[in-house]
Amino acid sequence: MADDREVLRILWDGRIPVCFTLNADEVVALEEPEPFYLLLPRVSYLPVVTDKVTKHFQRAIKPDMNTSSIWFDFNGQPLKWHYPIGVLFDLYGSNKSLPWNITVHFEDFPEDEVIRCESKEVVESYFMSAVKEADSLKHKSQIINSMQKKDHKQLWLGLNNDKFEQFWSVNKRLMERSGDELFKHIPFRIHQCDKLFMQKLAKPVNEAGESLTLKHLMMETLPTIFSNDEDFQSTRIVIHGIEPPLETPLQWLSEHFSYPDNFLHLVLINKEAEM
Amino acid sequence: MAEVRSDGNESEKATQNIELVDKEQAQKPTDEKTNTSTTPKETKTKIDVLLKAAGDAPIMKKKKWAVDANKTVAYLVEFIRKYIKCAASDSLFLYVNQCFVPYPDQPIQNLYECFGADGKLVLYYCKTQAWG
Repeated sequence: MADDREVLRILWDGRIPVCFTLNADEVVALEEPEPFYLLLPRVSYLPVVTDKVTKHFQRAIKPDMNTSSIWFDFNGQPLKWHYPIGVLFDLYGSNKSLPWNITVHFEDFPEDEVIRCESKEVVESYFMSAVKEADSLKHKSQIINSMQKKDHKQLWLGLNNDKFEQFWSVNKRLMERSGDELFKHIPFRIHQCDKLFMQKLAKPVNEAGESLTLKHLMMETLPTIFSNDEDFQSTRIVIHGIEPPLETPLQWLSEHFSYPDNFLHLVLINKEAEM
Repeated sequence: MAEVRSDGNESEKATQNIELVDKEQAQKPTDEKTNTSTTPKETKTKIDVLLKAAGDAPIMKKKKWAVDANKTVAYLVEFIRKYIKCAASDSLFLYVNQCFVPYPDQPIQNLYECFGADGKLVLYYCKTQAWG
């Protein structure tokens, strides 16, 4: 793991340029507010990094508006803040049109699609739940349960404060191999536009002890989409904005390419739909 | 006599120990079986969900439900809230493996595939945060 530490750092530093615009219908100020530009960390969550956005637009909306009801959409698609920003961008955004244009709303919260987020504590509890779920897949919860409350807090604070060292000094315990022992299962989620995400049990090796790869994972979990090599030509498998080689071993991918919530968030993009 | 008694006790203890070891050994193979079983679970359209109350949450008269595999955790939480007449102002938490709270948009299918056992998915609900 130590040899590839640089990979962790590069993924942690991934940023997306975003242009925030207030929904025109909600402007009560005489002048429309200027758009607001930010470089958002891919591995973080919208409510963690958008305090400045709220402040910027607050002057332009109804003065009695509760700003904790803030939500975001891209092209009419409400963005689920409980997924990392990088996942949302890989799902809906495109490298061909940057900055990513996100519309800011304070009214008409889309209850059916987005979870209410009154405070950062809500984000923290969703984040920690995901970490716990991931460790129950990897180590039957043994590592996360052996940690102290302050370690859990440090994971969150590291992410919240964008402090790589602070986060990884605890996270490495969740990611390190103990001797030759691999993860029991690989925590992953597969996201596709307009579909519920998919999650299954997947082991890093087969019964003969041979390493399984990203290609195996896809063919196992989505046999209807990936049945032959041609299928891999028509669909892109994206994580952190990158298409990893299909031969990448799952164990390595899980150790290095997981988001801070310890899940591999793979986004599938149909190439034809992109044309 | 006293010596004999203590001897008897000791040997009793020894057999107890052996029994415990034996049980563990006997359990091991079955544990391993469940651990290494890679046979994919059947894709079901309905999933048997067992709902258990924890803490001070009211118990549901009917505990076992067949839930549409494509329904989400949010749907199930809403269902439980109605069933136990949970006030809108009260919280309701759902736990998997007495360990973590699943995402509301998680389909029941996924949870069953990852955390189901013996053909069903066991979930705990409570009105205060019970675990973690």
